[in-house]
Amino acid sequence: MSPFDKAWSPYAAGILIGLLQIPAFLLIETALGASSSYVTVGAAIAGLVDPSLLRIDYVARHVAENAKNLWQVALVIGIALGAFASMKLSGAVRAPVSPIWAKALGSSSPRLRYAVAFVAGFLMLFGARIADGCTSGHGLSGMAQLSVGSTVAVVAMFAGGIATASLLLRRI
Amino acid sequence: MSSVAVGMLSGVLMGIVFGFALEKSRVFEPGMIVGQMQLRNWIMLKVFLTAVATGAVVLAFLNGFGFVKLQPKAALYAADVVGGLILGAGIALAGACPGTTLAQIGVGYRDAIFTLFGGLAGAVAFSYAQPWLARSLIGTGPKLLFTDLAGMAYWQGAVALAAVIVVILALIERARPWRKDLGADVDGDFAESAQPSHRLAPAE
Repeated sequence: MSPFDKAWSPYAAGILIGLLQIPAFLLIETALGASSSYVTVGAAIAGLVDPSLLRIDYVARHVAENAKNLWQVALVIGIALGAFASMKLSGAVRAPVSPIWAKALGSSSPRLRYAVAFVAGFLMLFGARIADGCTSGHGLSGMAQLSVGSTVAVVAMFAGGIATASLLLRRI
Repeated sequence: MSSVAVGMLSGVLMGIVFGFALEKSRVFEPGMIVGQMQLRNWIMLKVFLTAVATGAVVLAFLNGFGFVKLQPKAALYAADVVGGLILGAGIALAGACPGTTLAQIGVGYRDAIFTLFGGLAGAVAFSYAQPWLARSLIGTGPKLLFTDLAGMAYWQGAVALAAVIVVILALIERARPWRKDLGADVDGDFAESAQPSHRLAPAE
């Protein structure tokens, strides 16, 4: 498990991620999560064009410059930095688009992939915000807390993912 | 330091650890996530369940000894099912979830930038629709734990969950060792390993 390895065991990585609940609960009094930060950033930007958006209570709660909101924005920025550092230390080199997409989409057109990625991102966050959480908030944190609602959300998430990957994508 | 500064600093540091673990486990690769949803690659489930079990043990201690309060989300069944299905469809087509999208951007996957912008647009669209969706679909609900239903202490249920997950992981690992799921370039892509390679000597 050296920082220069290209791959660690999924168990080592999972333990490390699970341990992050300790600082999250002790310092921020919250559980790990990622999808709220998209509302904080997205609504702050959209609010520059349409200030009436910021008067919706839900939006006002998410764009408030408090420790919890800005912690999560900082967390997702840190995720990009950590992944970059890990890649550089291991010397892994990647194509600009993962080679699996040419197979999954049946086309190697980058434009098609970019369009699918945009729609996918839209669905991901629209769904996550309806459910009030994503793979992190409902999955990692909700299931660890034995939350009934989060467990229902995770089952639905995998059901939606398996159905879509089986019906709309080709076998990779 | 103000609480906001503590929040941002701890957020960046925790995020770096999170992103490092996501990259090292390869779980952030589209090949791993699409592979899991096509039930042919099990690394995502292994990382996910290990992190859930670890979190459960950690919280059993922290909550059991009274250091922290739990922060569960309300059980909103219609919203959990509808939102979860849409989120799952998005995860399969993105080959990422909201957190791992940032890890993909960090390693230079260009399509992930489009996933991010789509995500921001989705979050803004939801924000406009939220007052109406809150009344029509989401509603309100109790913060319900399985241990409340069973009449147990949280820490007992959390330790039991971790034990069950360890057994499940041991069974999956025996059926499908994790090294077999890494693919030719540890990205979950089996294309090159499936073709006969002349550069590599046979293993035996």
